[in-house]
Amino acid sequence: MSDKPEKLITDDGLRLDGRHADEIRPMKIEIGVLSRADGSCYLEWGRNKILVGVFGPREAHPRRSQRADTAVIRYKYNMASFSVEDRARPGPSRRSIEISKVSREAFEPVIMAELFPKTAIDIFVEVLQADAGTRTAAINASSIALADAGIPMKGLVTSCAFGKVDGQIVLDLNKEEDNHGEADFPVAMTQDGEITLLQMDGNLTPDEIRKGFELVKKGCKEILEIQQAVLRKKFETPVEETEAEVTEEAEETELEAVETEPSLEYAPEAALVEEIIEEAKEPEEELSEETIETCAVNEEAPECEKVEKIIKDAEAEVVEGEVLKEVIEAEIKEEEAEEEAFEDEAEFESAFEASFEEVSEPEELEEPEFEETVSEDEAEVEPEIKESADEEAQPEVETQLEEEKAEVEEESQLEQEIQPEEEVQPEEEVQPEEEVQPEEEVQPEEEVQSEENAGTEEVVSKGIFESEPEIESEAESRKETLEQTVEEPEEECKGPWKVVKDPSESGSRGENDE
Amino acid sequence: MMSEVIATLKKDYIYNLMIKGKRQDGRGFKDFRDIKLETNVISKAEGSAKVTLGDTQVLVGVKLQPGTPFPDSQDEGVIITNLELNPIASPEFEPGPPREEAIEMARVVDRGIREAGAIDIKKLCISVGESVWIVYIDVHVLNDDGNVIDASCLAAIAALMTTVVPNEQQGIGADVPLAMKEMPVGVTLAKIGSKLMVDPSLDEEAVCETKLTVVSSSDGSIAGMQKMGPAPFTEAEVLEAIDMACEKAAELRELYLEELVKKE
Repeated sequence: MSDKPEKLITDDGLRLDGRHADEIRPMKIEIGVLSRADGSCYLEWGRNKILVGVFGPREAHPRRSQRADTAVIRYKYNMASFSVEDRARPGPSRRSIEISKVSREAFEPVIMAELFPKTAIDIFVEVLQADAGTRTAAINASSIALADAGIPMKGLVTSCAFGKVDGQIVLDLNKEEDNHGEADFPVAMTQDGEITLLQMDGNLTPDEIRKGFELVKKGCKEILEIQQAVLRKKFETPVEETEAEVTEEAEETELEAVETEPSLEYAPEAALVEEIIEEAKEPEEELSEETIETCAVNEEAPECEKVEKIIKDAEAEVVEGEVLKEVIEAEIKEEEAEEEAFEDEAEFESAFEASFEEVSEPEELEEPEFEETVSEDEAEVEPEIKESADEEAQPEVETQLEEEKAEVEEESQLEQEIQPEEEVQPEEEVQPEEEVQPEEEVQPEEEVQSEENAGTEEVVSKGIFESEPEIESEAESRKETLEQTVEEPEEECKGPWKVVKDPSESGSRGENDE
Repeated sequence: MMSEVIATLKKDYIYNLMIKGKRQDGRGFKDFRDIKLETNVISKAEGSAKVTLGDTQVLVGVKLQPGTPFPDSQDEGVIITNLELNPIASPEFEPGPPREEAIEMARVVDRGIREAGAIDIKKLCISVGESVWIVYIDVHVLNDDGNVIDASCLAAIAALMTTVVPNEQQGIGADVPLAMKEMPVGVTLAKIGSKLMVDPSLDEEAVCETKLTVVSSSDGSIAGMQKMGPAPFTEAEVLEAIDMACEKAAELRELYLEELVKKE
């Protein structure tokens, strides 16, 4: 360590590095310098070099460190062993543990941790080169890295120290001033000037502290401007551009929705839908145009049988697809209802599922009937009218579908409204464990939910219909089919519902409740 | 976990009292709980003191051992402060190496003593660059009923004031009292709502948003400060806290430490 220079402040009031008493060292900030971190920042302040990475909000480990009402903020200040003159021993020192604690507390008032319960927000600070004021530099860098990570904050935190050198209060001490000065007073504050970090060692009178506060406020304001400029540069986009992007994005999203049915992708049911679509497509590929033509010309041709069989199968699939659509709709509703109202009532859950199992039985009896109806119609249909019939049928089918949905909604609502009275109904005998729950709160949400689904379902049904131009059926026969489908939507839902839902559902629900 | 629930329930109560200008145990905002200071309680230690602050009990023992000086201060003694939150003191404390809370408090006590120049470390030099006295200040918290930090600061300085340098043991002359130059006293203020109150009890500590410890010297200058806790302070609050802390520190110094000087 160098000996103390004779004067730390020259006669003309300048400091050894040429700064005035109220000047901060030059600061350079780079944002988003680490690709794996959620947010990062590299900051140079004088000869300090600080690198900060922010991770999270992410699951907090170990589990007992989680907090049910808020995210835990973890701040790790670490000095590289080569960052100081004499090699520092790697690993946490008592100093770095203390700095980590007070720095974390500097951020706790601004980070909106309550938005991310059970998670952790990790701030890792690496001091690569230290030259006095590393904790303030680290806080300034962390502020930027947190913003880069998109962590909601009430504002930026800025930090700056003042000290006493040669009996004079100066801003932002450098290494020599820190070593030989009389006091060091790091402060961190919010944009509103609230002090979130305050430490001090040395020797200051209350008046000197007052004077120091004025300097620190000035310093923090300057730093805040630098921070804001850096963030603007990275994140601010001109207004027109933003609007254009938004519309483009919206269009893209719509297109995607049509192509990929995104809202169903994640559901296990989606796999089933896809499977059905795939299955329905297969015959399409097998049948060459020739075959179809042959059928059209000669009804007696051997290919006809094949075509008819395929058509039959496909029709059956379509009906099933519709059933499934309702299944999904009803299921999503039920799920919502369940989650909203009965989160912690495992007892009810079992009763609930039991009730569906019970109701589902009639549906199995219904299905063969559809197939018969469909196949009767098929025989009469000419290939030439396939497409036109299909086109005609389409709008009607959609209307039907919408009506259907409305009915399903009504029914399910009715059902739920009735539920509280179920005690007196005969069903009660069959499901003695069923508990009665008030449903009012749940209903508005359900409506929203089904509206959201409406779009997707149309897409699903369209997808099915469009992929099978061969399907021969007159609008009327379709109507009949649909009407039958509509008659007992609730019951029909239950078959696949049970198959698809039970295994995944019971598992995940159990975990959520814990 | 328990304490968090209790704190939530008590918060309203303590907060409402604060609005009326009262505290749970009937004290004013500027009143300390009863303080009892005993010195030379451990004869094996070179200096020792026990402070009872309300029900909070802190025992400080000072041991001196010869050792090598730091390369940048070859003619100066070394001060090493350690603070342990023993599991005996609270159901919430766990055995094991000190955690951040204990480390922070130890460092605040240490900075107060070091920066105020309480010990004349030049007089702890045995031979320049080779051997100096290392002063180990070990703070043992025996019962945590709030405001451990102020009790620790007071006990540490009192223990140092009664410390004898064991020169005879090393064959370098007669034992002499440890040379003291200053009497720093730490005063902690808890911020509850918009009010500052000195010497927070355990409940007040659990309820308060944040604390500020101010260590001040006998000339009214500040030797160290530390904000502890997540909530912010305003500048005005900090300045108010400094004034309150200096005032209370002067009282404590007069009541408990001056007489130790006379004893010598």
